[in-house]
Amino acid sequence: MTLPPRRTSCSSRTKPSTVANLAPIVPALRSPRLRRAGGNRRTGIAYVFLAPFLVLFGVFVLAPAVYGLWISLHNWNPLLPNQPFVGLDNYIQLFTPGSLTSGDFWESMSATGIFTVASVPLLLVVPLAVASLLNQKIKGGTVFRAIFFAPYVLGVAVIGVIWKYLLDPQVGVVNHVLGAFGLPDNTPWTVDVPWAWISLVGVTVWWTLGFNTVILLAGLKGISPELYDAASMDGAGVWKKFTNVTLPGLRPVMMFVTTVTILASANMFGQSYLLTKGGPGNQTRTAIMYIADQGLSQNQMGAASAMSYVLFAFLAVISVINFRLQREKSN
Amino acid sequence: MKKQSVRRGLAVAVALGASVALAACSSGSAAPQGAGVSGADYSGPAVTISFWNGWTGGAAPVLVPKLVDQFNKEHKNIVVKNNPLQWGDIAAKMPLAVKAGKGPDVAVAHGDDIATYAAQGLLLKGDDIVKSLGYQASDFPDGLMDAGNYGGTQYGIPWSVTPMGLYVNNDVLKAAGLDPANIPTDKDSYMKALAALKTAGVQGEWVDGYVFTGTFEFESLLWQFGGDLFNDGVTKATFNSDAGVQALTHMTDVIKAGYSPENVAQDGNINALVSSKTAFNWNGVWQTTNTALDKVDWAATAVPQIGTEKAVWSSSTHWMFMNNKGQDKNKTAAAATFVKWMNEHSSGWAETGELPANNKVRNDPALLEKYPNLKPFLDELPYAHYETSAPGISNAMATITTAVNEAVLGKKTPKEALDDAAAKADQLLKQNKAQYGG
Amino acid sequence: MTATNIDRRSRLRRASPRVLLYTALVLIALTIVVPLVWILLTSFKTDFDAISSPANPFPSPFTLEAYKTLASGQQPIFRWFLNSMAAATLQTMIILITASAGAYALARLDFWGKRVVFGAIVSTLLVPPVIFLIPNYLIVQNLGWLDTILAVTVPGAAGAFGIFFLRQFFLGLPSEIEEAARVDGAGDFRIFLQIVLPLSKPALATLAVLSFLGNWNDFLWPIYVLLSPENLTLQPGLSILQGAYSTHYGIIMAGAVIASVPVLILFTLAQRQIVESVASSGVKG
Repeated sequence: MTLPPRRTSCSSRTKPSTVANLAPIVPALRSPRLRRAGGNRRTGIAYVFLAPFLVLFGVFVLAPAVYGLWISLHNWNPLLPNQPFVGLDNYIQLFTPGSLTSGDFWESMSATGIFTVASVPLLLVVPLAVASLLNQKIKGGTVFRAIFFAPYVLGVAVIGVIWKYLLDPQVGVVNHVLGAFGLPDNTPWTVDVPWAWISLVGVTVWWTLGFNTVILLAGLKGISPELYDAASMDGAGVWKKFTNVTLPGLRPVMMFVTTVTILASANMFGQSYLLTKGGPGNQTRTAIMYIADQGLSQNQMGAASAMSYVLFAFLAVISVINFRLQREKSN
Repeated sequence: MKKQSVRRGLAVAVALGASVALAACSSGSAAPQGAGVSGADYSGPAVTISFWNGWTGGAAPVLVPKLVDQFNKEHKNIVVKNNPLQWGDIAAKMPLAVKAGKGPDVAVAHGDDIATYAAQGLLLKGDDIVKSLGYQASDFPDGLMDAGNYGGTQYGIPWSVTPMGLYVNNDVLKAAGLDPANIPTDKDSYMKALAALKTAGVQGEWVDGYVFTGTFEFESLLWQFGGDLFNDGVTKATFNSDAGVQALTHMTDVIKAGYSPENVAQDGNINALVSSKTAFNWNGVWQTTNTALDKVDWAATAVPQIGTEKAVWSSSTHWMFMNNKGQDKNKTAAAATFVKWMNEHSSGWAETGELPANNKVRNDPALLEKYPNLKPFLDELPYAHYETSAPGISNAMATITTAVNEAVLGKKTPKEALDDAAAKADQLLKQNKAQYGG
Repeated sequence: MTATNIDRRSRLRRASPRVLLYTALVLIALTIVVPLVWILLTSFKTDFDAISSPANPFPSPFTLEAYKTLASGQQPIFRWFLNSMAAATLQTMIILITASAGAYALARLDFWGKRVVFGAIVSTLLVPPVIFLIPNYLIVQNLGWLDTILAVTVPGAAGAFGIFFLRQFFLGLPSEIEEAARVDGAGDFRIFLQIVLPLSKPALATLAVLSFLGNWNDFLWPIYVLLSPENLTLQPGLSILQGAYSTHYGIIMAGAVIASVPVLILFTLAQRQIVESVASSGVKG
């Protein structure tokens, strides 16, 4: 199970973290059986093998995790001679209504929340439907699969740039084509909510449809045909087969896809940055977008670091809830 | 570092990264601000200097490389590398890049950015080079030298001014039975023209809620109604004054009356003018070089006077010398030679759709003979207002665009939108003062 | 009623869902292909044409102006493409090397501190990358890596995912061959290079594809750590192109086409490998 780097377009790392899969982690941590090949301890040679990775991991993962916490305790503007220590003030500000950062930050958090809630179901259901279609005995399945996957390889900027033009309320193709069919031709796709949300979600589905589809398709193919045959013998219809065979058979894969998709949506940046520029007002400015702007454009690195830790806390809670729910379901 | 060690327990292998973190902790120190740029011609060893500018549109992408090539040919020991970026990208990247020693040697910035950069210690003093160029404040439109001055030191050298004007699609006017020779100049005639256009089925001005160009229109109107963006010491936002509310209400009224569509996208207004869907567009002088307008019978004129006095928004661009970490003196000297050379060759600059800042160059009759479209913009300059200059001001300015956007999209009334933005701006101004001082 | 009649009718009955199925697939494929083709056609339009008649997909007149403007080099888009290729390739190589070596130790060797090291790696799998944005910016700046390819390759290679993924795969490899080799006197380096790596080709390929796509798609980080136009990668470059040519839609779309065509060609050539690598990510491991 992999956690593919996707659609967050945000990280400085290969985004394993956006993409963390909870399923195997917890058992892996609990498992006392760490294999002993050869039975002897070979500490020296082991660290020779581990050294290149550990250097990178230490410098670019562990150190910044702590360093970021340290920064968040300061009024850290890298352009000024001093970075005064302010304790928890950056955090307190975030939870003080009317403060400089709290209004904008929570607006951006709610933007991230809205996008996640609106996009995740579609990003699961649509690919599942498409994967079910592709799982039938058809000719040209590989071709369809490749076409559906193709937008993903183009990258967020290509997708953002082309849809910004296609969805432009005035010069955009979409409105003009709708108008040609006698439909409303003035929908503000990129300018006003809720249409901006529809565009952001729609473009994200268009872009990453193939990604979840191919993973789910592999999951579907892994379900033994005998189970379906047995269900048919019991007189199960299409829907019964779907709920009694497909969904349970897909559970591990579905859990993986759900986790990845939630985290990817919660890290959405590029689509808003390119399509709506965060508008109207700042309603579609996501948390990541606000944090990056505060930290790296406005140079308020202390406040921005504090925000990133608060966002982290939220995601951690959601991850745990998601994991619990999935596990309960499978029990 | 004591507090950090307390936190040691948090990570397992932090030792590996700690040295980096410690090194990074000490990174914040600002470079000394004392250094200045000499006005003498550079005669040292061969150097390559990097030049950032935001001239990406219109004719500039052709003209700037041409000028740079010519300069490089004439100067055996200097190679100028031209790096055009979006203005917004320059503003976002410049500070941290210069701090890291990765910024340009010379750059062009907007007037409202210079004080910020100067306060951040990113700039070298330009007094000497200004002297050697022989420039006085009176050589430029009022206030332009001041925009490049911070704490009594001249950091910016004025280069161009870019006022807003009213662009007119003559075909659309004619089709609606209006006379292109008789373009509205005041509120009355303007609203009448919009009403006539509406009768003819045309939405005459498309009002948008973006920096380009709704914010510029709002600021023009604010000044026209006698208001201002900030108070004198730039400690308080004043754009939510009665004048501001009147200005923004005018814009929303245009929409409410059906003279403008709702929900205009960024650049929707100029696109509508190009495709003959609208008659008027408040836009910057840079649109005079927009090649998409070649197919259109268009004209430009001064913006109409909607408020109680004549006023119009203008931006300005300025040369500045960057105080990179470890800045090479030879490169700075070479950059100064380049800037002086550009100033001596500025007569052709109008080709880019910007007005040369230098009065002598700009008022040379030859300029208008060659670029007659620029006349109304030149005529506007006596009453043009430039952007506010104060350290860190761009974050407070951004709240204005948010307000304009919210009001234009009907999310808030003009007053609510402006009050909210002003409250936010006041906090930001306070933060700026705390961080950068006076 | 003859037998053939029954046959035909049941075939018809069976055919209609198949027709529906193909119709659905073709429709979905069209929603993906049509916008891309439309963009391609728009890139041959003049600015005026793109603005005034967006509903007509066909350029009138047909012009290569946009491509000529881009080729003139004001915005070095071809350079961006090469930069992206180089960065994605380099990062993929760093990940494959460091993660496979590290995973070998974690999966096949017993050593002091193993559980602590593994625990540290696994615990960061859940940390969102935004946490690292600002501190890593300062670290990269202090290393003097801003505006270099190192900034967009090395920090991104430090993630826990690759080593975790390969460890899981290595754990599943049979230990018999390895033990036989040890009896023959093979050391860890030989076992790693000559036994474990060759047996792990599918996992390595999957990791390579995911790493490459991840780096290729990276957007926020390169926006801030790459500064000079000639050092940009494609994603931030294209975003700059959009800003620089705001209403010159022909040029922007030509940029999108130039950015897309080579990737789509590569994807077509390797699509089975790429798609199957991604597909396997949810099932195996």
